[in-house]
Amino acid sequence: MAFYDFHVHSAFSEGESSLEELASMAKKLGYKGICFTAYPLSKTEESFLKNEIERVKKEFGIEIFLGFEARNLKELRALAKRRREFDVLLVRGGDLRLNRAACETPEVDILTHPEFQRQDSGLDYVGIKFASKNKVAIEINFREVLFSSGKNRSLIIKNMAENVRIAKKYKAPIIICSGGISHWELRDPRCLISFGCMLGLELKEAKDAISKVPEEIIKLIKERRSENWIMPGVKVVR
Amino acid sequence: MKKRLKVSIPSLRERERYIAFEIISEGEIRYEELEKSIWNTMLTFLGEHGLSKTSIWILKKLYNEKNKVGVIKCNHKALIQVLSCLGLISRIGEVRVVFKILKISGTIKGLNIK
Repeated sequence: MAFYDFHVHSAFSEGESSLEELASMAKKLGYKGICFTAYPLSKTEESFLKNEIERVKKEFGIEIFLGFEARNLKELRALAKRRREFDVLLVRGGDLRLNRAACETPEVDILTHPEFQRQDSGLDYVGIKFASKNKVAIEINFREVLFSSGKNRSLIIKNMAENVRIAKKYKAPIIICSGGISHWELRDPRCLISFGCMLGLELKEAKDAISKVPEEIIKLIKERRSENWIMPGVKVVR
Repeated sequence: MKKRLKVSIPSLRERERYIAFEIISEGEIRYEELEKSIWNTMLTFLGEHGLSKTSIWILKKLYNEKNKVGVIKCNHKALIQVLSCLGLISRIGEVRVVFKILKISGTIKGLNIK
């Protein structure tokens, strides 16, 4: 079974570690691929990052994807317009309007930590229904649990379990990511699977959250790269 | 008078799981620090009651300080909790660490660690 971590920050965004350190650690832990997540960059920075990713990919022999994380509605709209230029579109959750907009946008792949800095789970059943329809994966971010404690941690876990419960009911995809900003914050896939099980996923569902759901996203990435692709749900059939 | 308890029959015995792990870190990790860190993390995350249900034990004899490879014993029902807790350990002392799970087996022999 191939495992993927689709939410890792490098020194190009808010991260501390270089692409090499992250790729090396991911390979040691047994990942087949990772996605370097960055915030929208200038054209020159973006092309430099793409070249660096190509170099690291060849050096370490693991699949590396480039993802952009939208922090507000403006960034989301701008990124959705040029969806073909990068691999994964993530939306930083936490804001109710942004969470809902992410679920309603078919261009979005992952809604990251919808319960971020909130007292509630950040998503209602209507939003999750849209996520299911548009194949937007709801993320379980392990870093949130890793760097919280006491009352705060228990609240985060409760909100994550709530999202998992509703997502399971409406068959919305769930993805488990480390969300690390350093290579020391990447976690063994089996630890992430176990954490998913603790949140109420069945073992198979937890495994899918780290392997099958990312594979579905990769399939879409490949489709998007082809010349026949126009927009989500529309492609030229010859 | 006998010094040890009589070994229970197989049907009454608790089913065990042995988790072989490797610690990825920059510095050396002493056994005492590792043990303290694992117990404290599990106690914080699972609580005293939750921890009692895991039957966790860290096997001192099988910990290799050079390779940073060790074995944890727990019961088969608590495997998920133990693995989650290992993921929650980010530092041992002052050293940043990542746990890599090498193998999970029902017997020590099955782990094939040297």
